[in-house]
Amino acid sequence: MPSSPPSPARTAPARTLDSLANGASARVVEVRLDPADAAWLSAVGIGVGDTLTVLRRALFGGPLHIATESGGEFALGAPLAQGIVIADAP
Amino acid sequence: MTTDCHSDAGESATGGDVAPAAQRRVALIGRPNSGKSSIYNVLTGGHAHVGNFPGITVDVLEASVRLPGEGEATLYDLPGLYSLEAARDPETDEGVARAFIERESALPGFALVQVLDSTQLALGLRLTRELAAARWPLYLVVTQVDALEGDGRRLDAKRLEDELGVAVLGVSARRADCRERVLAMLATREPAAPRADFDPATLALEVCPARGKPGAGFTQRADRTLMHPVLGPLVFLAIMSALFSVVFLVADPASAAMDAALGFVRTRVAARLGQNLVSSFLVDGVLSGAGTVLAFMPQIVLLSIALDLLEASGYLSRGAFLVDRLLRLLGLSGRSFLPLLMGHACAVPAIASTRIVRDPRERLTTILVLPLMTCSARIPTYALLISTFFAARGPVFRAGVFLALYAAGVLAGLLASQALRRTATRGRSLPLVLELPRYRLPEWRVVLGKASRASRRFLRDVGTTIVIASTVLWVLLKVPAPAVLQRADATSAIERSVAATVGHALEPVTRPAGFDWRINVGLIGSFGARELMVGTLGVIFGLEDLDEDDPSPLSAKLREAKKADGTPRYGTANALALLAFFVVACQCVSTVAAIRRETKSLRWPAFVLVYTYAVAYVLAVVVFQVARAFA
Repeated sequence: MPSSPPSPARTAPARTLDSLANGASARVVEVRLDPADAAWLSAVGIGVGDTLTVLRRALFGGPLHIATESGGEFALGAPLAQGIVIADAP
Repeated sequence: MTTDCHSDAGESATGGDVAPAAQRRVALIGRPNSGKSSIYNVLTGGHAHVGNFPGITVDVLEASVRLPGEGEATLYDLPGLYSLEAARDPETDEGVARAFIERESALPGFALVQVLDSTQLALGLRLTRELAAARWPLYLVVTQVDALEGDGRRLDAKRLEDELGVAVLGVSARRADCRERVLAMLATREPAAPRADFDPATLALEVCPARGKPGAGFTQRADRTLMHPVLGPLVFLAIMSALFSVVFLVADPASAAMDAALGFVRTRVAARLGQNLVSSFLVDGVLSGAGTVLAFMPQIVLLSIALDLLEASGYLSRGAFLVDRLLRLLGLSGRSFLPLLMGHACAVPAIASTRIVRDPRERLTTILVLPLMTCSARIPTYALLISTFFAARGPVFRAGVFLALYAAGVLAGLLASQALRRTATRGRSLPLVLELPRYRLPEWRVVLGKASRASRRFLRDVGTTIVIASTVLWVLLKVPAPAVLQRADATSAIERSVAATVGHALEPVTRPAGFDWRINVGLIGSFGARELMVGTLGVIFGLEDLDEDDPSPLSAKLREAKKADGTPRYGTANALALLAFFVVACQCVSTVAAIRRETKSLRWPAFVLVYTYAVAYVLAVVVFQVARAFA
């Protein structure tokens, strides 16, 4: 019996925070980082379930300037942003 | 009930008795930029000193305050932090704070005062939840209520207290009654462990409802320019250059005034004691070292003020954001930019300024490569050698050599940084996560208090080392070596000195680099400070009162010096080798002392001396041999 084609949800590459356009918001659905980094980020409001907005980014793949829903603003290095999986904001 | 004042002072949140005031030890804790330093400064009147806690490389301030009624409390100011649960590395601010609290909380009479910024309450309450989970006894002081009111918002401190079950006080550090109200709370209320089962964002909205979009004010408007991808770096470069110039332009006349004052003292001492060894020891040894210390003081004070203004205004983090990508090439981050820039004037204040680098490994790397930046003390030697041995070339060529030497310093820093990050300072770095706080006006009392502490720290830790080293160098240069060790052909006092004897002994080692005993003595004399190279060579060549700004008589002597066979003693190859040595070698005892102070160890200053001198020697040998082969 031929196997059914994989569902788009399972094959689509995960969207990460670094791909979010300036001014756009998204919800964090997974953090694929070192546990210590993930814990620190969660403590400042960048964890699973939190909504983030990218305000701007530095040139040449530099850090992202993001706002958290708690009202905090952070500079987030691009390698960290690549480890934060996002989905559309509710 | 007022918005910024919980008026139930005297009523214990837990109903228990307050610990005897004489035993109270209270540590202030909070996020960076929460207003913690302002509150601490208000409570202590600025009379804090750096506590001496073993194994702690980050300053923890300590001060005693008299509480209303009777007794005193010792107040500690812990480094700003975001999270204690995520503290893994014991060298970070979080790690230091956690270790401090765990040790102190085991003793009776200990409590924490968490300082929260009312304009960003949800962020502060995240840390409150962590402290609550750890069951540490706590008070909450919510600051910036004046800024909150300016936004048309109000803090319901009573409701926050009821929700958490812990004493809460809303204050503004700028208001006159702040100190009295916080101390009254400490004297009359019992600290408690609040409940930990709350959602910070929800609770913040309940006790301090938001108005409009957060960040829609001055900060967002200013960031459109200051954080612009193209304009932002240009503005940052302009601000840093202006700051760099102001610090050193203002410091120069102040240093000159101190130098003149000390010169007066030296003249009086010399006149009183006459021309003898004791007089020379005091004037050229001890007072000379003291003069070096005082010459640095204006730079240290001004730099501390400038850095605190940048940090307190909220701009420093933005600067780090803008140049982070560039500094990543060096294995560093944006926060290292300012120290590296400052290092081009003087490494000593630059090393002190590395305190703004949060990552301990990155900070150490920055400290270790700072001696490679081309500081102003190298310039007299560069100018002497270029004007002496490239005089026949045009001014454009000579300017090119000067620029190449600056570039060589940056290149050496880049290579050293890359090498260190793979060896001596290897290990995981903290990823770049910087809070970008709202812009605000710095409080002068806090800024000046920090500058005052930086000055005292410099005098105590760096100053004493400089004076001792200056005295030792005087002994080497002025005291005659034992007669049995002196050379028979010695004709001047300096040729009979310990330094000259050592210089001759080193010749077999330094000859491959083109250095004879005279250059060796110059290098020994300039170990204390690079700028002494020209003056020491002047003494060796019989020019006792050589003007450092006009070394042409020394240039002539160097060009005319001949070997026994009549050929020139020094040539372009010797000059290039000496320049290469100067680019890399850490000939500055003040820098070594500053590294010892900032790393609180002897290991790292020793490491800097060994690695820079070893690389400088090898480089000088290679340059001399290659240049001689081509010549």
